[in-house]
Amino acid sequence: MVEPDDTELLERSRGGDMAAFKLLVQRYEGPVAGVIKPILGNTPEAEDVGQEVFIRFYDSLNKFRGDSKLSTYLIRIAINLSLNELKRKKRTNSHYATLEAAEGVKGVDEMMDLKEHLDYAFERLEPEFKAVATLRLIEGYSTEETAGILEIPLGTALSRLARAQQKLRISLSKKLKP
Amino acid sequence: MKEEFSEHEELLLKSWDTSVTPQERETLAAAMQNNPAIRSQSDQYQHLRTLLLRPQPDSFGPFFAERVMYMIKQRTQQIDYLIFFFFKKYQIVLLGVLVALFISNILLSDQLSVKGIFGLEQEADDDVFAIDIYEDLTK
Repeated sequence: MVEPDDTELLERSRGGDMAAFKLLVQRYEGPVAGVIKPILGNTPEAEDVGQEVFIRFYDSLNKFRGDSKLSTYLIRIAINLSLNELKRKKRTNSHYATLEAAEGVKGVDEMMDLKEHLDYAFERLEPEFKAVATLRLIEGYSTEETAGILEIPLGTALSRLARAQQKLRISLSKKLKP
Repeated sequence: MKEEFSEHEELLLKSWDTSVTPQERETLAAAMQNNPAIRSQSDQYQHLRTLLLRPQPDSFGPFFAERVMYMIKQRTQQIDYLIFFFFKKYQIVLLGVLVALFISNILLSDQLSVKGIFGLEQEADDDVFAIDIYEDLTK
């Protein structure tokens, strides 16, 4: 059976078909989770923000005219809400901050494997670097798409991306392959 | 601490994320061949990018869509409830005003008739005009 496309599901959702809207949620859960989780970590707030993305989308179903792709539209909401949440929380009670407080930075360093170390370094990136790196390096969007989603010039996206990678490489330099 | 990029490091990263000119490609190739430091950086960046790239789609766990739908339904019900109570407040006020008017009319009215209770004046017989329709037609 052919799956209904986004346009059809959108039309049906606008008409009050909740099953159609649920299909859209299922279809875009992956890409939305893919940008929220690297920014907020695997936390309960990440899921709250994920739900908020789709609730806002539901509220603005009639405003979405399809000028951009639905995935772009949802990811833009997800990034903005995640960055707002990040600002609100300032991540003071993050998992790693708690670990750091308990063990001291050196202790944490020894306890973590490379992937954990990378997650830790990623969490400490500035929000604007984190947003670009999430879209380009984790989710695999092209640099042009990344710039488009974030509504920033391509040159800005490229320089933030380079800066983010440099920061990550420096903080992981001892653990990465020489 | 802000570390400066070397020219080759910048070019290396640029080459992975956007198009580079043939001349830039040549410069980079030469640097990779002759400069062990840039080769090492290239390996580190590639390792980093491999670690970062998500191999499979992420998710918020099982039944996420169901949880979203439940939230939407619950919120819609909440809004309906709030609207109902918002208007109910005014309905109660309006009913109170009507009851007060009704009672004041009963108290102020000197005749306990239905018209009196509703504040409608009884018309005196002299004020009623008799219309003789036949008379008008025969004129």
